[in-house]
Amino acid sequence: MRIEKCYFCSTNVYPGHGTMFVRNDAKTFRFCGSKCHKNFKMKRNPRKVRWTKAFRRANGKEMVIDSTFEFEKRRNVPVRYDRELVATTLKAMERVAEIRAKRERAFWKNRMSGNTAKNMRQAALDVERHIELVQPRTLPATTAPDVRDKVREKIRVRAAGKKEMAKQMARAGGNKKARESRLIPADGAGMGMSMNVD
Amino acid sequence: MIGLKGTLSVIDNSGALVAECINVLKVKTRLKSTGFASVGDEIVCVINKARPLASGSNAPSAGNIQKVRRGDIRRAVIVRTRKPELRPDGRYVGFDDSACVLLNNKGEMIGTRVNGVVSASLRDLPGGAGGPGGRWSKILALATKVV
Repeated sequence: MRIEKCYFCSTNVYPGHGTMFVRNDAKTFRFCGSKCHKNFKMKRNPRKVRWTKAFRRANGKEMVIDSTFEFEKRRNVPVRYDRELVATTLKAMERVAEIRAKRERAFWKNRMSGNTAKNMRQAALDVERHIELVQPRTLPATTAPDVRDKVREKIRVRAAGKKEMAKQMARAGGNKKARESRLIPADGAGMGMSMNVD
Repeated sequence: MIGLKGTLSVIDNSGALVAECINVLKVKTRLKSTGFASVGDEIVCVINKARPLASGSNAPSAGNIQKVRRGDIRRAVIVRTRKPELRPDGRYVGFDDSACVLLNNKGEMIGTRVNGVVSASLRDLPGGAGGPGGRWSKILALATKVV
């Protein structure tokens, strides 16, 4: 029995799985399951549907030209059964799969290679554009010093109150809650604390 | 799944184009007899649409004799169905449409040709002379393609 390829997504269709559709011009279409059959009935083009093998191949997401693909081809040459030949074929299949996996990994690595630099550049650009979000905000210089002190005092009082509350909660509900209400988070979010008071 | 009122296209050269099922000929006492016909089952049908009669000449040429007309009641055998059918090897095979071939009362084909694909399930059905292909070997031999 043959293991066919799904017409839509190109996965293997094992015996007993999926359906076959025969068009009136006798062209046959095999599907791995109802998902592919339905997509076919919706007249979708597999090359335009992102999750199919056809799309990935057409858009450079996967290896297309490789000598390992040559092994998996339909040959209309009858071969007489030979135990030795079958044994070597089975061994070769494993080896070919191994090599292909290696090459696919290399292909993927190559495809992803530029990403770190690209992401860094983008991040740097973001920081540059929105620099005001990164720098600690200062109160406008026009604010009188006594107002500043007032604000600082306010913050201190509130923080103390919260700490007290957290302690009480911890006593009441165990350690978990205390951890949640910790005032200054570990990451940089604490920076904005002083200004979020109002 | 052809039941009462189910329409089929007729793919032989009997002159009929569309037939409507009016009875499914099945052994009612048989286990798993559902009252629906699938590939290889015989039905009784009405011809809903036929090729128009050759007008003008009163004696049509020998090769193109109109054998059925609209309104005729004939027997037919189903050769393919839209509903996917289960094959013994575990495959499900469905077709573009449901189609039949017209038969006379003795169970022989009315037409002389079969234009189109027929299902391979027509093979290996009981009955017939016991030759290869079973009862519908003639249809299988005439069909353009067996899938």
